[in-house]
Amino acid sequence: MKKTCTAALSVALPLLFAPLGAQAAEGTRIQVTGEIIDTWCYYSGVMGSPDAVVGSAHHTCALWCSAGGIPVGLLAEDGTVYMVLKVGDDAEAAGGDTLLNLAAHTVEADGMLYERDGLKYLVVADVVSDLDITNQNHNDYGNVPPFSIPDPNK
Amino acid sequence: MKHLIACLALIASPLAAQDFSEGSEARSWNLYAEVPAKFDAEVVDVLCTLTGDCPDDCGAGRRQLGLVRTADDVLVLPMKNSQPAFTGAAVELAPFCGQTVTVDGLMLDDPELGANNVYLLQTIQAADAEKIKANQWTKVWAKNHPDATGKGPWFRRDPRVKSIIETEGYLGLGLDVDQNYIEENF
Repeated sequence: MKKTCTAALSVALPLLFAPLGAQAAEGTRIQVTGEIIDTWCYYSGVMGSPDAVVGSAHHTCALWCSAGGIPVGLLAEDGTVYMVLKVGDDAEAAGGDTLLNLAAHTVEADGMLYERDGLKYLVVADVVSDLDITNQNHNDYGNVPPFSIPDPNK
Repeated sequence: MKHLIACLALIASPLAAQDFSEGSEARSWNLYAEVPAKFDAEVVDVLCTLTGDCPDDCGAGRRQLGLVRTADDVLVLPMKNSQPAFTGAAVELAPFCGQTVTVDGLMLDDPELGANNVYLLQTIQAADAEKIKANQWTKVWAKNHPDATGKGPWFRRDPRVKSIIETEGYLGLGLDVDQNYIEENF
């Protein structure tokens, strides 16, 4: 069995792994609507629950994380997170202006979806519409984190 | 074919269950889903890897960079560097574009939220080099923003962030909404 496996795998393994590492993946065109979010706070829970680290409550922190080069995501209405790699001609997904200006906005995006190793990546060809901040959740959660608005009394 | 499937089944379970925490010296951030992880990986431009759009320098820290793990060819997305300062990892990894390095840090594993193969990068070690901390982001920012003086951390002084807050407010809903909120809550 061991001999047979070695022979079979020597043929099969390169075929399995080579396309992933050596070639571009196949994309799928999609249209998706969702909020431009700070993925680190969303995934890590470092600032609170997922519902608290989106929308107006988290707008300032989303600006900080986007300017700081943390990956920006599009949180779709069904809860799926798409990691945004490019918007239009702007491939500066680590701290670039386009994504910074969209922080916490809800957008309708048209682009190509790529999936690899459990994550969904989105290359946005066109922001079809920018609906600004639609999730006005600061009355439910306050400003998150609390120091995102400097205390005017200090 | 039957032999091939049996052989793949034999190797699939060890790969799926691979534990990268052995030898890790990563510092805990007390995150719910953190798992220490030290591994060898090639530093890649994620956009290039997925689409074939490949500048020579991986985007010089302005594109998101990934780590293709040597052991299993999994693409890991580093989201954070080691600074608790709202800072990502692309600037830390950019000098190592195309190289294989050893990284240490924390993997986040929360399938319910969709957090798969995302990573907080703490140290990087290139071949024949000393291990370095992934904490250069704020130094690079300071070098690029010599005029952003004043008190407080970088995110209070960043000109782009300040400009958006000055027009849209902290809550992003306009200055009037900010004013009412601040009067009621501070």
